[in-house]
Amino acid sequence: MKYKYEAIFCIVNAGFSEEVMKAAREVGAQGGTVISANGTANVQAESLFGITIQPRKEIVLILVESDIKEAVLKALYHAVGLKTAGQGVAFALPVKDVVGLRTAGKQKALPQADGDNASPSADEDDLAISDENEDDGTPPDAPVIDKD
Amino acid sequence: MANLKPKAKPIAAAKPHKDKPPKDKRTLAPYKLTLLITVVPRNKAEFYLDLLQSFEVNLQMSVSAHGTANKLSGLLASEDDRQVLFSIIRQDNVKAALTTLENKFATIREGKGVAFTVPLSSTVGVAVYRFLSNRQE
Repeated sequence: MKYKYEAIFCIVNAGFSEEVMKAAREVGAQGGTVISANGTANVQAESLFGITIQPRKEIVLILVESDIKEAVLKALYHAVGLKTAGQGVAFALPVKDVVGLRTAGKQKALPQADGDNASPSADEDDLAISDENEDDGTPPDAPVIDKD
Repeated sequence: MANLKPKAKPIAAAKPHKDKPPKDKRTLAPYKLTLLITVVPRNKAEFYLDLLQSFEVNLQMSVSAHGTANKLSGLLASEDDRQVLFSIIRQDNVKAALTTLENKFATIREGKGVAFTVPLSSTVGVAVYRFLSNRQE
C-alpha cells in the first residue's frame, strides 16, 4: 500500500536532534519537531555489564514525501544510527491525510486496505510483523525494509 | 511533560451515528480508528485540544516539543516552542476534523500548524475500543 507521505520517527540520544535534521535535510526533508523523552533500558543489564545507557532521548518527527523516505532513513542510519554516538533508531509510519504542510495543502493518500481496521478482535495479520522481505537478501548496508 | 486529557463528554451523550450501519453485524469493531497527530504552537495547544474534543475524541495526549528551525533564522526560542497532540479519532470524523484544523491554521494568528493521520491497525479490549470510538454499541 502506497501513501504519499510518511512520518519518520527517529529516537536518538539527547543532543543529537540537530544531527538528525542535518542528515535529513541533505536528502530533501524540510523540517521536523523534536520531542524530549526518556529511554527505558534494562537496569539490571546495565549494572551487570557495568555500562550506563543514556536515558535522556529525543524523538525527532519528520514528515516527508514517500519518494524520499528511504533516502532519509538511510541517511539517518549512517549519520545517527546505532553504531554512532547518537545511537538512533528510525522508523516510518504511513500518513493518510495531511493538512497544514506548506507544500501539501490537503493530500489524500491511496485508499487503504480493509485490514486497517482498529479492532479488539485483533487479526493475526495485523499484529504480526510482515515477513514478506524476510529473505530478500537486503544487505546490512541497506537497512530500509519497506513493508508496503 | 506529557499529560493525558480525559474524555470530552460521556459516551452516553454520543450523537447517533449518521453513517450507514456496518453490513457485517459480526464485526466487533465496525468503526475504524485513526491516530491524529497535530503539531501546533505551545500557547495555542489548549485551544486545539478543545477543538479536537468536539470531534468525539475521548483520548488525547499532549507532549512538549520544539521546532527545528535554523538558529540563524532570527526566531526567538519561545517562537520555536511546539506542542504535539496525539488524538485517537474515529475515521468518519477525520475529514471534518482536518478541514476544521486546516481552516484554523489559516485564520488564527500565530496558530499555524500541521496535522496528519496515521491509520491504526489494532487495539485490544472491547471497553477500550468503545471508549476510543465513543460508541456504546
